[in-house]
Amino acid sequence: MKCARCLLRLQGLGSVVPSARPANRYAYLLQSTTSPVLTKPLVAFNSHGEALRHFHGSSAWAKSSPPSSDLKEKEKEIDKSLLSRDELFERVARNAKTKAAFDKAIEAFTKRERRRRGHVEFIYAALQKMVEFGVERDLAVYNRLLDVFPKEVFVPRNFIQRMFNHYPRQQECAVQLLEQMENHGIMPNVDTKVLLVQIFGEKSHPMRKYQRLMYWFPRFKHVNPFPVPRLLPSDPVDLARLGLMRIANDLDTKVTVYQMPYTDITETGEEITLPHIVGTQSPDQVELLAKHDPSRPVFVEGPFPLWLRNVCVHYYVLRADPLPPGEKVEEPYDPERSLYYPLQLSLELERDMGDLGDDFDVEDLDEGPVFAMCMTGQGDQATLNQWISGLQEANAVLGRVPTLFRLDAGPRELQSPAGESHRPHPPPEAEPWVPGDEGGAGPARQEVDVTLEEEPQHSRGVKQ
Amino acid sequence: MSLNRIINSKSFDIGKSLLAFNLRYNGKFVPHPPQYRCFRTQARSLAYAKDLFLGQINKAEVFPYPEIGNEELEELNQFVAPVEKFFNENVDSKKIDEDAKIPAETLDGLKELGLFGMQVPEEYGGLGLSNTMYARLGEITALDGSIAVTLAAHQAIGLKGILIAGTEAQKEKYLPKLASGEHVAAFCLTEPGSGSDAASVTTRATLSEDGTHYLLNGSKMWISNGGFADIMTVFAKTEVVDQEGVKKDKMTAFLVERAFGGITSGLPEDKMGIRGSNTCEVVYDNVPVPLENVIGEVGGGFKVAMNILNSGRFSMGSSGAGMMKKLIEMTAEYATTRKQFNKKLSEFGMIQEKFALMATNAFVMESMAYLTAGMMDRPGVPDCSLEAAIVKVFSSEGSWICVSEALQVLGGLGFTKNYAYERYLRDCRILLIFEGTNEILRMYIALTGMQYAGKILTGKIKEMKRGNLGMAVGMMGQKLRSSFGGTKDYGLTGKDGLVHPSLADSALKLEQNVYLFGSAVESVLYRYGKSIVDEQLVLKRVADVIINLFAMTAVLSRASRSISIGLRNHDHEVLLANTFCAEAFFKNNYMMTQLQKHAPENNDASIKKIAEQILEKRAYVCAHPLDRTF
Repeated sequence: MKCARCLLRLQGLGSVVPSARPANRYAYLLQSTTSPVLTKPLVAFNSHGEALRHFHGSSAWAKSSPPSSDLKEKEKEIDKSLLSRDELFERVARNAKTKAAFDKAIEAFTKRERRRRGHVEFIYAALQKMVEFGVERDLAVYNRLLDVFPKEVFVPRNFIQRMFNHYPRQQECAVQLLEQMENHGIMPNVDTKVLLVQIFGEKSHPMRKYQRLMYWFPRFKHVNPFPVPRLLPSDPVDLARLGLMRIANDLDTKVTVYQMPYTDITETGEEITLPHIVGTQSPDQVELLAKHDPSRPVFVEGPFPLWLRNVCVHYYVLRADPLPPGEKVEEPYDPERSLYYPLQLSLELERDMGDLGDDFDVEDLDEGPVFAMCMTGQGDQATLNQWISGLQEANAVLGRVPTLFRLDAGPRELQSPAGESHRPHPPPEAEPWVPGDEGGAGPARQEVDVTLEEEPQHSRGVKQ
Repeated sequence: MSLNRIINSKSFDIGKSLLAFNLRYNGKFVPHPPQYRCFRTQARSLAYAKDLFLGQINKAEVFPYPEIGNEELEELNQFVAPVEKFFNENVDSKKIDEDAKIPAETLDGLKELGLFGMQVPEEYGGLGLSNTMYARLGEITALDGSIAVTLAAHQAIGLKGILIAGTEAQKEKYLPKLASGEHVAAFCLTEPGSGSDAASVTTRATLSEDGTHYLLNGSKMWISNGGFADIMTVFAKTEVVDQEGVKKDKMTAFLVERAFGGITSGLPEDKMGIRGSNTCEVVYDNVPVPLENVIGEVGGGFKVAMNILNSGRFSMGSSGAGMMKKLIEMTAEYATTRKQFNKKLSEFGMIQEKFALMATNAFVMESMAYLTAGMMDRPGVPDCSLEAAIVKVFSSEGSWICVSEALQVLGGLGFTKNYAYERYLRDCRILLIFEGTNEILRMYIALTGMQYAGKILTGKIKEMKRGNLGMAVGMMGQKLRSSFGGTKDYGLTGKDGLVHPSLADSALKLEQNVYLFGSAVESVLYRYGKSIVDEQLVLKRVADVIINLFAMTAVLSRASRSISIGLRNHDHEVLLANTFCAEAFFKNNYMMTQLQKHAPENNDASIKKIAEQILEKRAYVCAHPLDRTF
């Protein structure tokens, strides 16, 4: 119970810490001189606010902790101390922000601080910098950071210490470190455990955190049956392939690259960019399309967003409306079909109500067939037309079926709220515009055909 | 006498072939069905296995066990002796298997013995054997799988089309040469894209412009004897105008000579078993087929194909039994000579169990095969396709298990090529596959019965669903009675019972099972109606129960006859029959319990789920047991 409460508080605490971070940066900009090291770890601790008070501190701490009166002033002081840590990283980062540089900073600290003074601040600073140095997913680095803690000092030695929160600030720092690991999906290993035992003893908050991580992480490792690769391909064609196969979910689906991205400069100096067109179609879909009644139109619709980790790509579908209930033609039963056994019984008995089973499925709706899908770098009608003509090779029927383009002015409006009126449902603001996105759907966002925007909602055109 | 019988029979109009077929006996054999059956020609409309679905035992069909006349038997034995001798002395199965070819001299020998025309009427130069006699010879030809299959492809399906639906002219033209073996026949139905689905047959026959012949185009796959067959029964799509004047593609059977030209055969397939038989692809390229070579009607090929397939299966029971009898001899020899720990192998319980299993299986196969053959030999147009399918399923699976057990007795030796066991095992495997896979035949067995029972029970079930109180109370009473082990008296036992008293227990078990089966079928129909076609696991159980019921009937009938006329070692038969019935009784009860709604014994839902998950991934889903997550 207690542990749970403490953990909750720890989380509350986490929200306090970031607020101090921007201040650090500004402080750094203002102060050109390097301020002296460490100084007041005590203050730093207190500045984290009341939350910490609920962490039962050992008696030693309680005594030495001065009452927090002027928070602002204190903050300034922390900034100072943190700044020095920050600066340690800035300095090593002058050449390159790599793992080696990060390691160097840790090494520099451990060398300089034989007694590890200010290690808590240093670790907090390091945790902040990890993403910047690109080591946030490196277990070894976390272990090295943990190694910065002095060993055996914080291990409780008697029952009172064990009962109360021994060295809460250090413990909380280690918990923060473990939490950052958790957020990045890094599972601790035995080294982590050994370090934690050495630093905090067998029964401590970081140890508990470690145990919880080890309890849940393995269980959740394969919880997603459709894992997205952690590193997405940077090539838009590969990315499109990945996204399409993810939607298709049919092992027979074939991916066809109808056009590779291509840039050329014409004689007049005009730059021509041909977008990529990647499409999928499964044999079942080919069969469905072949059976499609040529008098009914098929639609090219899109773009629809698909998120792959932090990248949003857009896809288009070729579909038709479901047949109205009256026009559904069931294949007539041919008694001369099966050579060995009757495929149907000529009985007038229906299935009993009690044995209908749970066939009812909310997902089992007649939405009309989807014949093919594609992703392209440029969602204008000309490009999509090219896709359709590519499809015609395998689906001759497309030459006879009227093809309607119902294109939303889609992804562009994520950027320009001005176009919002065109969309019946403006995209929720929660959909972030991710900078790293450019590789996937960048061109689509920027180069949507202008004419589309002018038409309300849908641009319609009949392909010959 | 025989003539009388035919005139009496309702089947006067069944065609000259049958008339000729039966007349033939006048000369050579005494009419094979003994006297007491002569008056029962009217009963042909009923069939035994179908009535079991209604919970009825049509005793007259299966009791007493069919037998053939003395002179016929003598004649048969005269036949059997030289064939047996030939197979023992002149057939080198090992060599046939290794070379994947039956030597020409062996084939010539077979032809001389007349084995290529066993069921061709004598007037066309065949042996004109009845089904029973054909089954008897099948026991011997089965000693070599390759020869058995070559012969079966030739006459059980290859030339059967002419016998069943051919015109007199076609018979006169083709049968004599086929019967002598000068020409070999093949049955060409399967295509690369069409196994049992007639709709996907792509071979086409188009009428030539002058209307004198058809042009045949397409290719057929896995054609037994395809490499050298001279006469082929080929099924192809032709354009037919139906009554409403709509043009439609329908299947038509053609009699195609290799001499017509345009026929090429592919390389023989390299098979696991029956390696000596020839199986290959046959390609037709604009083969001209004269109009008079259509078998049956244009557009009536489907019926022809179905009749041929349905009629060819019954002999597998006797073939399996023939093989088993030989294997039992060979294996027993080994088990009684080999010693381990100063004890003969035959003294070990687990080895003894295998012999009991083999003997029981052989006994059941034999009983079923000759019961069915006897039923088919009765006058009229007996529809024994259901029984034949049952025999095929039971005997193919029984053979496979028994050969495997026989091999097991020899242990490592059986696994080597020094012994014939591995060859038998390989040869035997095809039995579960060809002439309709056992899965498909189970569907056929169950659905045919369901259709029959459904027609009769529809009214009753509808009444029940409508909430007829009297009906419901009656049902409840019936259910209650059966749950207390009550059963209907079918008259198999007791005074005037048809089963010998020493088999009375087994007969009671059969009665109880049949009674329960009737109500099980009823409840299945009540629950699923015509959607039963989609409930394959239910149908499989229904088929398994009916197979067991027919097997129980066959052994009871046979053993009763054996005791009654004092056949050699009939006490052993009683033992086998009782053992089998006891075992089948429990199996049936278990399966019928599984058929009940919400039965804990029924795992169907889970089974389906497992399969669905695996098939979705198209792989084994589980992680490796050594995998770790941390």
